[in-house]
Amino acid sequence: MKTYEVPQEITDANSLEQKLELLKHIGRSFSVYRIDCGSCNGCEIEIFAAITPMWDPERFGFKLVANPRHADILLCTGPVTRQMYYPLLRAYEAAPDPKLVVALGACGATGGIFYDAYSVLSGIDKIIPVDVYIPGCPPHPASIIYGLATALGIMEQKLQKVSFENDGEMPPLVEDSVLGNTLFERDLLVASKRLMSYVFGRKLYDKYLTALAKSENVKDTKAAKIAITEAIKTEIDPRYAECLGILHNDIYTQYVPCSEEDKISLHRVEWGQ
Amino acid sequence: MMKLLDITEKYGKATHKYPFEPYNVSANFRGKPSYIYDLCIGCAACGIACPSNAITVVFNDDKSKLVWEFDCGRCIFCGRCDEVCPTGAIRLSEEFELAVKFDKSALIQRGELDSQYCTVCNKPFAAKRLIKYSFECLSKANLGEKRLEESKNYLSICPTCKKTATASNFTSGKEMVIE
Repeated sequence: MKTYEVPQEITDANSLEQKLELLKHIGRSFSVYRIDCGSCNGCEIEIFAAITPMWDPERFGFKLVANPRHADILLCTGPVTRQMYYPLLRAYEAAPDPKLVVALGACGATGGIFYDAYSVLSGIDKIIPVDVYIPGCPPHPASIIYGLATALGIMEQKLQKVSFENDGEMPPLVEDSVLGNTLFERDLLVASKRLMSYVFGRKLYDKYLTALAKSENVKDTKAAKIAITEAIKTEIDPRYAECLGILHNDIYTQYVPCSEEDKISLHRVEWGQ
Repeated sequence: MMKLLDITEKYGKATHKYPFEPYNVSANFRGKPSYIYDLCIGCAACGIACPSNAITVVFNDDKSKLVWEFDCGRCIFCGRCDEVCPTGAIRLSEEFELAVKFDKSALIQRGELDSQYCTVCNKPFAAKRLIKYSFECLSKANLGEKRLEESKNYLSICPTCKKTATASNFTSGKEMVIE
């Protein structure tokens, strides 16, 4: 699809030298005009979070204005839907030269999750030249402040392209199992992720293994039960405590032959005692 | 007026001093996924899980390398890659200062892994590290020595060849062992 070609006079008036000249001798606040090109409003909420006194970008002179004819910086969000294509161009041509264009959010930068949808043009840079990209879905207010500060040259860009090409020797990745069978660790990790999601599930997995390692003989069901019960008693968070018991009853008993009294009782009445 | 100033004095300043002082994000903040190349086995679980296709795992043109590529501009920070990664090569960090100027390619991270060739049809089908990792897992999973040797042959054969070999063994009445 043939999209907009930037007219020659706008290109001439927006060269890097002229932008730097503007940043140097501006002598007033920077006016930011926000263009919503079909965004989901997540980015807008974060922009308004960023202009509250909590973050206060007016310290550096950023001011939201309601008219593109007053703007120095165009803050574009959204993946550019077909309906917003011409309004974006009108705002771009209406803004006085030289102007800085900032693409905000994953959608503004590359199209984000909508990059291959039929009704979008996937990113601001497909249509007009962009100076700064701020990724994030939506970006944190601090990211927005950082992005605007980078646009003005107050802060330096931190990311660089990283490419690893030498495939060297791989470190050993699988640790020895406590029971002599890694399937135990695998099942334990799967069960703890199912119980408590991936972030807290990993913590639960670590807690269970450290508790189990404290018993003298891991394969002795009595000692293991005492060690886990001790860990449950000392655990402050009741969610971890209950899940430790569930893990012991469900997974440990599958790998070590256990009788019924080796299981930990998790009945709610006994929690109150 | 002075009373108002007294009140503000009493409650202190709420504004973050961010660009002049480092800002600490709250616990469990989902920032930029950090990639540890040494731990990556090229299993492509993250590429399949990624809802916005920010992570792609494809062979390069001559199929000698498996290329893992991450485009931070398209990432929606959902953490699915972190959830599925078996070795912890990709974890969400607390990095939030991601803006780049002019050149979007600064948002890209790449990693090239050697590809494993099938011992039967000699076509690449996975990363070498994945085969090594699978064997390492199996060797610690309480298997017999004969079974382990058998699985070593199985691992370095591409899925298509594995299927034909198993089918031909099965139909000729032999045990399902690939020599």
